[in-house]
Amino acid sequence: MNMLSSYLKLAAAYTSINFKSLLAYRGAFISQMVAMFINDSVWIAFWCLFFTRFPVVKGWGVNDVITLWAIAASGFGLAHVFMGNALALPGIIMRGELDSWLLYPRAVLPHLLLGKSSASAWGDALFGVVVYLLFVKPDLPHFILFLLLICSVAVLFIGFSVFTGSLAFFFGSAESVSVQLRFALITFSTYPSPIFQGFVKVLLFTLIPAMFVSHLPVSALRNMSLVDAAYSFAGAIGVLAMGVATFYFGLRRYESGNLMEMRG
Amino acid sequence: MSKYFYIALTSIRSKLAYVGEIGSKTIFLFVILYIFLCLWKVTYTETNQNALGGLTLNQMLWYLVVTESMILSLPPIATVVDQDVRTGSLATQLVRPLSYPLSVFANTTGERCLSFAINFFAGSLIACLFVGMPDLQLHNIPMFLLLLPLSFALDFSIYFLIGLSAFWLEDTTGITLIYSRLTMILGGMLIPLELFPDSWQQILRVLPFSAIVYGPARTFVTGDFHLFFYLIAQQLVAIFIFAFLIHVVYTTALKRVFSHGG
Repeated sequence: MNMLSSYLKLAAAYTSINFKSLLAYRGAFISQMVAMFINDSVWIAFWCLFFTRFPVVKGWGVNDVITLWAIAASGFGLAHVFMGNALALPGIIMRGELDSWLLYPRAVLPHLLLGKSSASAWGDALFGVVVYLLFVKPDLPHFILFLLLICSVAVLFIGFSVFTGSLAFFFGSAESVSVQLRFALITFSTYPSPIFQGFVKVLLFTLIPAMFVSHLPVSALRNMSLVDAAYSFAGAIGVLAMGVATFYFGLRRYESGNLMEMRG
Repeated sequence: MSKYFYIALTSIRSKLAYVGEIGSKTIFLFVILYIFLCLWKVTYTETNQNALGGLTLNQMLWYLVVTESMILSLPPIATVVDQDVRTGSLATQLVRPLSYPLSVFANTTGERCLSFAINFFAGSLIACLFVGMPDLQLHNIPMFLLLLPLSFALDFSIYFLIGLSAFWLEDTTGITLIYSRLTMILGGMLIPLELFPDSWQQILRVLPFSAIVYGPARTFVTGDFHLFFYLIAQQLVAIFIFAFLIHVVYTTALKRVFSHGG
């Protein structure tokens, strides 16, 4: 319990420092945040246009897709607001820049992940909540479940980024593969899940776990199903466990880049 | 003009050294085309229609092959200009016997042509696998090949203008992202203009976004002569307007360049 509290304090301290460092370039921070907000809004506009022409796609309506986008964007945003280094992991490993993180008296992975906050992720996080409140207009129980599911999706995104990033321990230049896999997860997660059938559906529950971002959370919110919510959490924890295991297994193969690095 | 041609050729040659990196983007192309195939297949089935917005499922997927290949082949034009302005390397470009805008145009367009060719080839294989060969008439291809470079030139001129805004703005990535998203949705990358509400269509056809993405892709799959001639005129007028804007902004911006040292 003490350990958990200690790491929560560390997370709070890092988040505060990261936020202040983002504010040092206030104009750039605000512009990136607003740009991401607009980027996500464009997709909502696309879906609104699509559902104006075709009101139902395999039982999904426009509110389901907006819920899907709200969860996915906020989950992705929340993950990288707090753990922005998850996106940079393959590059850090490939260039041998883990050295400075290995010297701290903290577990390497959480400490490393907390080291940076992504400016655009703030826009994503904010976008999801605003869009959900504005368009779906949930009651209190739905909103609470929505917030819980955002946490589940954030855990999944962190786990997946750690898993794909850790491939750099094994394949060297894994930056491109990692980015492609992450894009695949995000892309599959942001389309109505019923359009995928057969083998692809199996793939989306396993190798590219998009169903834990799209299908199960939306179903949980639509039916207020705690069982689906529990499945979402179980999937997210599973992906995180896989990511952590791959990272620490790969860390044994890590070779220092002999870089001189100063961290303030 | 030959020096700019050689810049473009050199850009293609240097990018050929990293052809694997360009090729890796085709994974994303595969994913996105597969998703759109699933989405449109369901939509065609549920609406019980053979054609939506005047396109059959085969044409719709080939339309998406063209639009996605065009968008995924885009080099970071605004970032290149932004970095040249911010790091001061623009000053070193100015002493060369070259026009800076034209040299960036040659360099990025060479790169874009190669990326487009690879993406289009990969996309065509994927589309053949999913829906078979395209239902094309012979004249579609030369019409498309005339529209494509003009579309690249128009897209370049807008990104170049955004890059030049680095003279006044702290960060241009936000505007770049917004413009790219406007091109995606208002330019008809995701959904053909015919499927937009009727009141929107008239406005969207006049905006430059549709001349960049929708027009060439639609011409490729339908071979519509009326659309082709309209697009040629629209692209030329838009390029002229944006080239004039570049001239004005670039001339003003150069007055802010200070260089020293040797």
